[in-house]
Amino acid sequence: MSDELDPGVLAESFAEMLGAEWPREKAVAWSQAPALFAEPLWEQMAALGWTALTVPEAYGGLGLGMEAAAALHAALGAAAAPVPMLGTTLAAALLGAAGSEAQRTKLLPGLADGSSRAAVAQPGDMPIRLDGGSVGATIPDMIGAPAATLLFLRGERAGRPCWLALPADASGVSIAATALTDATRTLGTVTLDGVTVDEDALILAEDPAALDDHLLRVAAIAIAADAIGGGEAALAGTIDYMKVREQFGRVIGSFQALKHRVADHQAALVAARGLVEHAAGLPDDAPHALLDALSAKQHVTRTVAEIARDCIQLHGGVGFTAEFFPHIYLKRGKLNEVLFGTRTILLDRIADMLEAA
Amino acid sequence: MSRTFDILSKVGDEPAFRQEIRDWLAATVPADWRRRWQAVRESELKAIVVDWLEERRKVGLATPHWPREWGGPGIPFAYQIIVYEEFARADAPELDMFTISLFHTPATLFEHGTQAQKDRYLGGITQGADIWCQGFSEPGAGSDLASLRTSARAESGHYVVNGQKIWSSAAMHADYCLLLARTDPNGPRKHDGISYFIMDMKTPGIEVRPIRQITGEAEFAEIFLDDVKIPAENLIGAEGDGWNIAQSTLSTERGLLIFGAVERLARSFELDGKEAKDGWMRDVQLRREYAAFHAELQSLRLMIRKLLIELEANPDKASPTLPTYIKLIWGPFLQRYTEFLLRAEGIDALKWQPSIPGTGHSSRLRMNDFLKSYGWTIAGGSNEIMRNIVSERILGLPRG
Repeated sequence: MSDELDPGVLAESFAEMLGAEWPREKAVAWSQAPALFAEPLWEQMAALGWTALTVPEAYGGLGLGMEAAAALHAALGAAAAPVPMLGTTLAAALLGAAGSEAQRTKLLPGLADGSSRAAVAQPGDMPIRLDGGSVGATIPDMIGAPAATLLFLRGERAGRPCWLALPADASGVSIAATALTDATRTLGTVTLDGVTVDEDALILAEDPAALDDHLLRVAAIAIAADAIGGGEAALAGTIDYMKVREQFGRVIGSFQALKHRVADHQAALVAARGLVEHAAGLPDDAPHALLDALSAKQHVTRTVAEIARDCIQLHGGVGFTAEFFPHIYLKRGKLNEVLFGTRTILLDRIADMLEAA
Repeated sequence: MSRTFDILSKVGDEPAFRQEIRDWLAATVPADWRRRWQAVRESELKAIVVDWLEERRKVGLATPHWPREWGGPGIPFAYQIIVYEEFARADAPELDMFTISLFHTPATLFEHGTQAQKDRYLGGITQGADIWCQGFSEPGAGSDLASLRTSARAESGHYVVNGQKIWSSAAMHADYCLLLARTDPNGPRKHDGISYFIMDMKTPGIEVRPIRQITGEAEFAEIFLDDVKIPAENLIGAEGDGWNIAQSTLSTERGLLIFGAVERLARSFELDGKEAKDGWMRDVQLRREYAAFHAELQSLRLMIRKLLIELEANPDKASPTLPTYIKLIWGPFLQRYTEFLLRAEGIDALKWQPSIPGTGHSSRLRMNDFLKSYGWTIAGGSNEIMRNIVSERILGLPRG
């Protein structure tokens, strides 16, 4: 991790650019007419080096760690930016941890400069049998697949888990988009029909279970960061509204019944941010690195989804309309809750780790 | 005890300091202290607590957070944190009865007291076992403390005090009281005209009645004041300046007490899961609920550590908002977690047992801890007041 870049300074520069390039009006307009991803915004991010953030320096990246990644994902969550950054962060982690030299040289520079967009399979996805011959498989509900140029799929060869890196336009690969309520991300079913898999497309980890845990930790931190950014933005926007909306001759923000709810939300977000920053700041091999990341993910995504829900109610009638922003954060928040492990799955894993401690 | 301990000489070497405290605690705190303290009668409680204070004094840890000029060991804040952390880890008894003596009295006297007041009263804490209490709240002045009505009328050489105080922790054991009373009933604002006094609890006209709590214990009391004469030299600061003085010394514990309390809960949380391994941890629903509390507990520990780090870097200028958030999160968390344990453990958790003094909020008597958790959401500014502070002073929402 670089000592020269302060995550706080990074966060400010992320927020500044997104505030100018992806203001709330754009987020609202996008939610009503979404495309696969905001291409101009993605290109600007790439030009500023954001897509290169966690890619190792030797492969065209900036070589920063999870603290920087968390700052970026929090800023993207705050803006509800429709960009496939999660795929880039995960693919960089996967290749960095287990890719061969040839795979890194081939794939990482494209991720770093934004010309490649990745989709990475989730922990529960059924592995693809790779025991010779051409491959056929269906992987449902792959996050980011419709916007991706590169797919990272779970495989299994001779009973041993591995990963498979395929171009999204490879022969025999098709991706059918499934509409999501969260218009800022995409979901798709990937079908492989008679796909030839070359040896150099296989990513073979020395310890597949450890690789899974590493990716789960990275995903948990990135998603928790996205959530906290979104929660803070949704609440701040709601408080702004409560300061101007008048009923009974007074601004509604003066009503104690509403103020007290907002105070609790604010305290919950301050506590939640601490969890994200702490989890992101731990080295990957710290004793509780995974436990703290999963705990942060389940708690922060849950807390933020609940706060986003109340932001609809606190807005009243306009909160129910598509023209106001709260629904965007609620929908993004609900997706964050289930991505890379629903809360119950994570809680079972957390309980296992607490028992083993 | 086979060896002598010199904890303070290890300042400058954190691991050695920590190890020396651990060794001393292991050699000094009896494994069955909880059972012994639980069995003690209320009339004998003070004696057993003072014994523990004396043990701590032998190694210079009676007043570990006191600077040298107060007569304390003057150890850096980082080492004070270690002391509290190790006491929590070892489940050593707490000194709740001495909270005001150890924190508020020295802070108040050092900031606002005369030299004569410091000379006269601080020694009773550093060398003796003087118990101080606080006479702030009144039946009609709780969250709205500034509306207090206890009066102090100036006469020649003394004040005559009349009124009633309530929620005074340890008042029935106390030697002295830090008293707020109104010297001028006609101040422009209700905060004006309040003065701050040292009151000797042996003065005629004082009656103390313990208040039985919902836990069955009596940790605090009502104080009835009937023509109590307080010498004029016992006024702290200027007449009418009591409100400002009280405000400036309310947060003297600098996060150390809540840090200790949360670290104790963290230790207890770990044990709760382990001890239920063949019990409720086999129930998938309860196991998940338990796992969910981990994040909340962690978030509290992180907030408190952040506060301590800020205070260590700059004792006079810590974040003014963090303590408010911590209070707002900690009490309700403790309530929900202790309530969870009641549900998880079923009827066993509801069987009556005498409470265990010195265990703070982690006695591990489930119903007691649950009931006691309301202390955190009501005392020291109820959480409803905290919500007003967050929404109005921090978030800038207008007053209703």
